[in-house]
Parts: sequence; structure tokens; C-alpha cells
Amino acid sequence: MFMDDDFTDDAMSGVASTIQKLEDLLLVTVPRDLMDDQVLSLRREVVKHIRLYNSLWVLLDFSQVDICDSYFGRFIQSMANMVRLTGARVIISGLQDAVIETMVELGMTLPDVRAVLDLDEALAMSRTNGKVDADTSETELAELSFLDSSTFDFFEV
Amino acid sequence: MHKSVGIEGATRILVKRDADIVLVCQRARSLAADLKFSGNDQVALVIAISEIARNIILYAGEGEIFIKTVFDGDTPGICIVARDQGAGISDVSLALQDGYSTGGGLGVGLPGARRLMDEFEIDSKVGQGTTVAMIKWNR
Ligand SMILES: Nc1ncnc2c1ncn2[C@@H]1O[C@H](COP(=O)(O)OP(=O)(O)OP(=O)(O)O)[C@@H](O)[C@H]1O
Ligand SMILES: [Mg+2]
Repeated sequence: MFMDDDFTDDAMSGVASTIQKLEDLLLVTVPRDLMDDQVLSLRREVVKHIRLYNSLWVLLDFSQVDICDSYFGRFIQSMANMVRLTGARVIISGLQDAVIETMVELGMTLPDVRAVLDLDEALAMSRTNGKVDADTSETELAELSFLDSSTFDFFEV
Repeated sequence: MHKSVGIEGATRILVKRDADIVLVCQRARSLAADLKFSGNDQVALVIAISEIARNIILYAGEGEIFIKTVFDGDTPGICIVARDQGAGISDVSLALQDGYSTGGGLGVGLPGARRLMDEFEIDSKVGQGTTVAMIKWNR
């Protein structure tokens, strides 16, 4: 019987398959209906794979997710904090403009996380930036090029 | 709060598990699409509902959400009433502040939902439960 190590853990089935290596990036497809127990195993697997591949960036792909509420915000933040401890950084992609706008209006700021439009942009960024310096790459959701700071001010009450 | 707010004639959905949140959000989204809400307004509505529904599951265990179409003259809107019999909130104005959370969250759910909706009212009594009523108009 064939038994891949990654699939022996029950909670992991379906999680391991969402993690792929692409150059310096670790590509993580965030499941549409992310559940609490999945979050834990996903975080564990991501760290494991960062070590395995020496990844510099973790790209969280949200293209399957259409309702990105504070639960996902919390997930992104905890993932970013944890990934940072390994020396890598989190990038997010695949969020529709309307969803990003709504996240800002909701009041979600994600310090230390970069958002890009798609995989191409993520790759381009990882190729030009290489290993990031922890002190100089602070980027907030509100500072992204496609959301200027006035958009953010407007949403502040 | 607009006079049309309420639960009479509304669709009632029990909220107990994550899957129920998805159901409520789908229902609200298709209603909003039928009423020709813009894409942005649909997302705003759905995320506000999702926040309130998550709070029910997280802090009250279970509750119910009522959805219905309302009108202000010719202007259609969607009215949401979310109700639970959980522990209630002792200081509502504190709970409405950005960043306040007793559950280790970001504390954006309630203040965010209030910003995303056009009308928002919260009524909570300690030991009795919480009711959130909100409306999004398609102006
Ligand atoms: N239905 C409810 N019953 C009891 N307490 C509630 C309820 N909804 C919210 N609260 C209280 O209000 C606080 C603020 O809620 P809010 O949704 O703004 O933030 P959060 O749920 O803690 O974090 P986030 O929504 O950002 O994940 C909660 O931490 C909780 O103490
Ligand atoms: Mg909440």
C-alpha cells in the first residue's frame, strides 16, 4: 500500500494537497470554507514546508474564498506572525477588489502582509526582492498601490 | 432605525454551525442580487452578516437570523435581525469599539458590520442575550 507521510494524519488530508512549491514561494491555496481545526494543521504544514524547501515567501491564495471576514483576517495575521518567525514573509493574492475594499472598511489592517494581484506578480516580487529585511518591508493593506491612503481615511469613522 | 425593521414575514435561519453561516450568506447574496445591489454592496452586506453570525456561534453558541426585503418608498433594502439567548454583552459601547475583543479576535466584527450597513442597532442584556438589527439600502 502506498502511504505518503503527508497524508497519514487524518486532519491533514486535503490540507497537504493545498501546499505547493514554486521557486522561492510556498503556494498555499486557502480553502473556501476554512475551519478551526484546519487552520492549526495548515499552519503546522506551512512551517514544515518552509523548512523543507527553504521558502522565502508564503503566498496565501484566496481565489477560492468569496467571503473574507474577520475570521480570515485573524487567520492571515496568525499565519503572518508564525511565518515571520521562520524568516519568511506572507503575501496574499486572489482577493477581488470589492473584497479588499470591504476588508478595509471592516477595519482590518494587516501589518506585515503584502497583497498582490496574482501569481505572476508574486513571482515577480519574490525574484526582485529576494530575502526580505525584517525591518524594511512593513506594508499594510492600506498602503497597497491599488488602495491609496485617502481610501482608507474615508472609511475611518 | 427604519420603521420597517423586524422579523414579520422574514426567512428564519438557525445558526449553530459554520455551515449555517454559509447558508445565511448565500441567501442574503441571492436576495441582494435579485434587488440589483451593486457587487460592492453585496460583498459588504454578506461580510456584515458573516461577522454577526460568527459572533453568535462564538459567544452564544447558537441563535437565529431573519432576512427580509424592506422598502423605504421605492428604495429596496435588506433587513437582517440576528438574535441569540447567550450571555449578552455587558458594555455594548465598548464592544462597538474597534479592536475590542474578549475572544482573542481582531475586534472588528461589530464596529465593522456597523460601518458596512446603513442602519445598525444592537440590544443586549447580560444573561438574556443579544439582538442585532441592521439594514442595507440599495440607493
Ligand atoms: N452575540 C454575542 N453575544 C455575546 N457577546 C458578544 C456577541 N457578539 C459580540 N460579543 C462581544 O463583543 C465583543 C466584540 O465583538 P466583535 O465581533 O467586534 O469582535 P470579536 O468577535 O471579538 O473579534 P472579530 O470579530 O474581529 O473576530 C466580543 O469579543 C464579545 O465579547
Ligand atoms: Mg466577531
